Amino acid sequence: MTGRVWALAASVFLDALRRKVVWVVVLFAAVMAAAIPALPSYGFGVVEAVYREVALALTYLATMVLTLSLAANRIPAEIERRTVYGVLVRSVRRWEYLLGTWLGIFVTVGAAVFAFTVVDVVVGWLAYGELMFRLAEGTFAILLEAGVVAAFCVAVSSVIGPVVVVVSALAFVFLAHTRSQLLVPEDILWRLYPSLDALNIINPVAHGGGVSVGYIFSMLLVFVGWTGILLLVSTALFSRRDL
Amino acid sequence: MMETSSQTTVAEAASEDATAIRIEGARKTYASLGQPHRDAVREVTFQVRSGEVHGLLGPNGAGKTTTLKMLLGLVRPTSGVFEILGVPAGPAVRAKVGFLAEQPYFSPLLTAAQTLALHGRLSGMSRAAVGARVDELLSRVGLAGKGDVVLAKFSRGMLQRLGIATAIVHQPYVVVLDEPASGLDPVGQRDVRNLMLELRESGATVLLSSHQLSEVEAVCDRVTILDRGRVAAAGRIDELLNIAGQTSFRVSGDDDMLPEGVRERVVDVAFSGGTHMFSVADSDARRVFDALDDAGWRVLSVSPKRETLEDYFARLLDSSYEEVGE
Repeated sequence: MTGRVWALAASVFLDALRRKVVWVVVLFAAVMAAAIPALPSYGFGVVEAVYREVALALTYLATMVLTLSLAANRIPAEIERRTVYGVLVRSVRRWEYLLGTWLGIFVTVGAAVFAFTVVDVVVGWLAYGELMFRLAEGTFAILLEAGVVAAFCVAVSSVIGPVVVVVSALAFVFLAHTRSQLLVPEDILWRLYPSLDALNIINPVAHGGGVSVGYIFSMLLVFVGWTGILLLVSTALFSRRDL
Repeated sequence: MMETSSQTTVAEAASEDATAIRIEGARKTYASLGQPHRDAVREVTFQVRSGEVHGLLGPNGAGKTTTLKMLLGLVRPTSGVFEILGVPAGPAVRAKVGFLAEQPYFSPLLTAAQTLALHGRLSGMSRAAVGARVDELLSRVGLAGKGDVVLAKFSRGMLQRLGIATAIVHQPYVVVLDEPASGLDPVGQRDVRNLMLELRESGATVLLSSHQLSEVEAVCDRVTILDRGRVAAAGRIDELLNIAGQTSFRVSGDDDMLPEGVRERVVDVAFSGGTHMFSVADSDARRVFDALDDAGWRVLSVSPKRETLEDYFARLLDSSYEEVGE
């Protein structure tokens, strides 16, 4: 089972490495990160925090663009081109196919996020003489959210085309970060609301002292829970589909 | 999985169960909102014996591809039993099945070697076993030295050759071919035919869905003919095509006219390149042979009269449509 999932993930990763969109997004993000220090300064001691905030926002944007471009059309294209036939006529269960596809996208996005992090830290060091390793906490949270968004795309795209996938994924991300605007913790719906706010740690990373190891562990739990549920949903939907 | 089973020969595996593929009562009904239900496949039943090449024939829309897709898990059957090598046709047994589709469906951004490795791994082969087999297979299908080329640069024929390699990378016991020679040039068609003959020689079972009746006639032991979702005919090709009670002759002589004693007994005559071809009732065959011999004619061949698969196929479908018309 593991071998098949990893083989699928590896093929998705190798395929992604030859996609121009991946390199364009990575290069664009790197160039933008290098340009951040040219932004207006806000005063001694604040400029590094502004850099960190903008760098994380840029990383978030680039990561989401990359995730959507890889995940929204992966399964619809495989179904349309029928490359999925060659996979599913083997001893591959549909959930293995979905998990392998998601894992390949996640690993690809992970490699890109690692590159973004390196660029952010290097640019920060060159511009401000400070090695901002704390940025890695923020980019790790971004990667986890990208993993959830990729799982959402896999679930929706197992039954519908890429345009609807992108629109619904954007709506999902928007809704998942608006709980505190719509509800207060005392509301009954607070605990039931599908929120990804736990993964938004730009503020403590950019302006504070980062987050604790315990909090990182709780982010992992949120990530595993969301991803697990979405992949289960995608398996339920895709298993019923005639190809 | 295949590393252990490769110690068993294909023939041994085949002998474990005389039926390699069993499809019984297969039905697929498509239902759309506001539309009447449509039966793509209705109560299709047939078996493929171990070690044989079995043809699945039928016009467009007959249900061939839907039947194959149900067998291979791509389409959920409405009802029916699907077995491969004696067990339900699930993912586990599909490790012993190879599949070659009409179109080569591969990611254009992977290389030939990566594609082959992926399909081997998905069929349960270890990384080492796949690695050892990639170069050998690529050269066997005429793609030696192309392992590092991305498939976007492959021609249609090269992709089909790669398709052949992926179908047999894990040394399957059962191979399903869906219109494998469709759109191929003569060299590609020859390669596909050679593949089928090699597979038969190795003891593998082949289920071939094809429109190319001459190919089916050349390589298949038995056929099942589908028409509008049902089995219209099934059996050994010889049994289906032999016309009971008639014998075919191919003869040559110095005269343009057949000798007396023959002329009045022939059913149909064709003359081409100095050779007469005709058929007679079985009961007259001895007398006709003697009459030809007495007249000094050369008898080139005598065989049971047999129609071509094309003729049989057309006749079967015509009669089927007439029944519906009535």
